Amino acid sequence: MAYGLEIFDSSGNTTFSTVDSTWTLLGVYTSNADTSTTHTGVPVMPTRIVTRVMVDQISGDDESYVHTFSLSGSTLTTTAPSSSETVKTVFMVFGK
Amino acid sequence: MAYGLLVTNDDGDVLIDSDFMHYHFLGKYTHSSVTQIPDISGGSDSSVTVSGNSPNQNKGMQNMPSKGEIYIYSVPVNGSNPPMCFIKPTSTGSSAPFAGIVLTKQSGTNWEIRVFQSTVTSASPVLYCFSPLSQVSNSTSTTYGLKTFDSSGVVTFDSRFKPLRAVGGGSITSPGLAHTGSTGSSWNVSLSVNASSVSTSFTSQSSASDLIYYCPSLAHACQQYTHEEDDSGIESWTSYAWARGDVWWCFYRSCFRIASTSSFEANYGVFARGHIYEHKGDTTNVFAGLILGALTGGAYFAAILATLAAAGSFTSAGVDGGNYLPYENSYRNTSGNAFIISKASYYD
Repeated sequence: MAYGLEIFDSSGNTTFSTVDSTWTLLGVYTSNADTSTTHTGVPVMPTRIVTRVMVDQISGDDESYVHTFSLSGSTLTTTAPSSSETVKTVFMVFGK
Repeated sequence: MAYGLLVTNDDGDVLIDSDFMHYHFLGKYTHSSVTQIPDISGGSDSSVTVSGNSPNQNKGMQNMPSKGEIYIYSVPVNGSNPPMCFIKPTSTGSSAPFAGIVLTKQSGTNWEIRVFQSTVTSASPVLYCFSPLSQVSNSTSTTYGLKTFDSSGVVTFDSRFKPLRAVGGGSITSPGLAHTGSTGSSWNVSLSVNASSVSTSFTSQSSASDLIYYCPSLAHACQQYTHEEDDSGIESWTSYAWARGDVWWCFYRSCFRIASTSSFEANYGVFARGHIYEHKGDTTNVFAGLILGALTGGAYFAAILATLAAAGSFTSAGVDGGNYLPYENSYRNTSGNAFIISKASYYD
């Protein structure tokens, strides 16, 4: 690399390099089942992505909606599409 | 920041910020067991050996598409934040099976992860898991590297524990319906996955087979095919009447694959499936009494379904109960699903 940062282990293997576009975890936010929740204090970075994970097993009898969301500034707004069949959702916000 | 370490690239992307927790390598995990959602199959026959053209074919799972497999993993990471588990697929390319995480559940001091793969293969997917340093209990005697702390003195980055290195990522939307076009004809069902895969690109890499991805399954679809017939008349001087109604259905979960060195694809696999029917006949001219509940609203089928689901057929499979027919010919949760790409060779 011409510029940047590379970190090696004692064997000379690269363990981290700024050539890779890595993501930093900015926060983990949980929205409970069937409940719309607004999470505040989300750190701001130039680029952010939000991953969603449905926690626990979905029931074969439910429509099993995942929360929808919008991220603006330091606020993550999560919405339960159904008041009775939205699963618990963990949001992980990453930035770089 | 007032103090600490902030590393950015020339695009302004933050690569290391000592104020924030970074994900580090927990380990590489193989599955402990494999399961499938048991079929729901059955029906009610009543005096169906009557004369006439009463149909008896395809009362089982004939012509139904094959189900995928569910691989079960136990990831030893104790903490409230679920691990990020990347899938190292069994193969890559345009014919590779699709796979996605369908369950993330804390179980004691472990997290249980389940990976659904659209087709059955001899090889199995492997998980590469990451977690914040506060939840990593690995030890190392290495004294080389870079370590950062936040203002409270908590370690946020430690190169000795192999920080997550993402080489690509983006957002992908799953298809709507898993099966398009006709869902069957007469007593022959057609519910296989035939939707076109949705593709999105990421920064091109040198080897597709080295790539691992993080993209939990969110979308699901449920489709069904119903068919009903009835007839009555006189044969050999005897009156006859019959009626039959069937419902076949599949519940699909979204899953993903590395299609090439720069392409990520989403589609569905058959997660659960069922077929129930009601078949009645008589030799007297009581046709009006044979019109099935199903033909007038499905209540009859609902009763059969409830009986079968309550029979406990799910217990031994360790999967949640239910009939997996929560809605008809529709889909849920298809919108933007974030994914991250890394390389297995970084951690092998």
